[in-house]
Amino acid sequence: MIEMNNISKVFRTDVVETHALRAFSLRVEPGEFVAITGHSGSGKTTFLNVAGLLEEFDGGTYHLEGQDVSRLSDNERSRIRNEKIGFIFQGFNLIPDLNIYDNVDAPLHYRRMPAAERHKRITAALERVGLSSRMKHLPSQLSGGQQQRAAIARAICGSPRVILADEPTGNLDTTMSEQIMELLQSINAGGTTILMVTHNPELAQRAHRQVHIVDGRIDQIHHFGTVQRASAAAGASA
Amino acid sequence: MLLHDTRLALRSLKRNPILSLLMIVTIAVGIAASMIAMTVYSARAGHPIPWKEDKLFAVTMDTRDEGPPPPGLPLRNYEYPPFTLGYQDAMAVYRSDIPRRSVVMYRTGQLVMPERANIKPFYVPVRVTTADFFAMFDVPFRYGGGWPRAADTTAEPVVVISKYLNDKLFGGVNSLGREITLGGRQFKIIGVLDAWMPHPRFYDLSGGGFDLPEDAFVPFEWVRAGKMFPQSISCVRRTSRVVNFESLFTEECLWLQSWVELADSAAHARFQDYVDNYVRDQKQRGRMPRPLNNRIVNVSTWLDMNNVVGDDTRMQVIVAVAFLVVCVLNTVGLILAKFLSAAPIAGLRRALGATRLDIVRQHLTEVVIMGLIGGALGLILSFGGLRLLHALIFSRGLETSDNPARLTLAQSFTHMDFSMLLLAVVLSVLTGILAGIYPAWRIGRLAPATFLKTQ
Repeated sequence: MIEMNNISKVFRTDVVETHALRAFSLRVEPGEFVAITGHSGSGKTTFLNVAGLLEEFDGGTYHLEGQDVSRLSDNERSRIRNEKIGFIFQGFNLIPDLNIYDNVDAPLHYRRMPAAERHKRITAALERVGLSSRMKHLPSQLSGGQQQRAAIARAICGSPRVILADEPTGNLDTTMSEQIMELLQSINAGGTTILMVTHNPELAQRAHRQVHIVDGRIDQIHHFGTVQRASAAAGASA
Repeated sequence: MLLHDTRLALRSLKRNPILSLLMIVTIAVGIAASMIAMTVYSARAGHPIPWKEDKLFAVTMDTRDEGPPPPGLPLRNYEYPPFTLGYQDAMAVYRSDIPRRSVVMYRTGQLVMPERANIKPFYVPVRVTTADFFAMFDVPFRYGGGWPRAADTTAEPVVVISKYLNDKLFGGVNSLGREITLGGRQFKIIGVLDAWMPHPRFYDLSGGGFDLPEDAFVPFEWVRAGKMFPQSISCVRRTSRVVNFESLFTEECLWLQSWVELADSAAHARFQDYVDNYVRDQKQRGRMPRPLNNRIVNVSTWLDMNNVVGDDTRMQVIVAVAFLVVCVLNTVGLILAKFLSAAPIAGLRRALGATRLDIVRQHLTEVVIMGLIGGALGLILSFGGLRLLHALIFSRGLETSDNPARLTLAQSFTHMDFSMLLLAVVLSVLTGILAGIYPAWRIGRLAPATFLKTQ
């Protein structure tokens, strides 16, 4: 699914160079749930941005579903982000002046999907996250947990192959975090690959694998479970 | 996608209503200033008779004394020969059989003595002209027509009157065959004009050209028979003076407009030769000491030579457009600030799959909509500004006029026609694009990851 070899990423200013990723190599299997941990500044988010084609990298190779993405044009990267990747952020990142329905609609719109098909997918995704009755609400009218569920609906409505979640429970209390985690696990059980950055060791242990990053390098890898073949082959589902 | 972008744009405008309003008002003020200046310019710069552009020609000859230009006269104007002719030269032009039509004429003023006792005697501007005037300038008639060429030499007492004069004296009915007293003489009405307002009054631009045509037209021989003195005379030789009526015909003084209608460019060339040869002949007789400078010019060139549009009007347009540019530059800064404040949302949209073009198009749609709203507001301001101009400048003193054509003429300077409305729309869209292209491009170039963590 994801195959990174010797990826390096350096942030440069006039006076300082910061090596965010150094010879970073990681292989993620289809349907796998991988937790990324590490201290602040260790390179977790940079890894997620590179994996999500939000940032280019300076060295190494990256294959996503067998496709070398290092030489893609900006438009091709946008298309892959739109069709194959779903994003979930710590701060939910919903568009404040769009209602929940329109927020979920945003990525489908950029796919130029017909309105009827979009409607079907949006309602299904919102039903799945339990927000069918809130689709006309603005994000500000929802609780943090509901907002994150709306963000998850947005991430899954396009049936992505992989979901990249950057501390999805970071802004939520324990109960809400548990609900979100269960939702992510259920999506993963449907075959969608998930890479989740977290500071929470308990949540990390619920993944198949925990990858611990220190100074832009993989420091440790812990295995907690295996990917079920059936679910791995099933692909994503909204 | 356009509908989607439009919806997003309207939402974005509502998100920062004060900032949006500020930008819209800035655009509106710039567009209003430009539209007011361009409307006045357009009213002055229009062609009064475009369908005869290659047929009608004003005739000029350089009959002036030698020597430097008088102090204070713009050199540009001094290159041109005088815009009127003396009697001898005008009649020489008139005698040529090369033109299809030929007119020699001047403007005077005469007292009208109405038959109805309730109307006091009043002065009207009168054009003393040869017969071809009406056909040459496509003058529309309500009743009757002009006079035959023979009437020009016999001082036949016939007159063509304007619609205004016919309305005033005869209540607008068909007055053909009736008589009016003009300058103490009886004239039989043989024609009544329909509404006619060449804008500018190109055939005689003395006094700037933005005035109504005359109210009475009489055959040319009435210059002598009626001793109808011209309103404007200019003597071009230091020794020339108009001391009595007869000296109009003998002195080197200019008071006649001369126009010809030529069939084609070959006729123009032949007629130019004819005039040049006439001037050469006059030089041999000791007249016209300057080098050959006879210009037979079409209406556009004639208007340009007479600076009808006016340097002030041109300068007003330049200043107004410069002001619009300043407004656009100010708006660029405001739009950039607005877009950058919403950069996290643009970054999010990029993460969700929007291409750079999607982002640029979405933001450009917003500024174009802003430009259109600003344009609409600018149009309202323009109408207000033009009404104010009309009240303060163009219609001043018209309260006492009983000629509705004067008000129409005054309104024509501040009338925004369809082409100007179209220009306002184009200007609005263009303003939006110019103001928004750089901010939209900047926002489209931002790396999508830059703001996601902070959104």
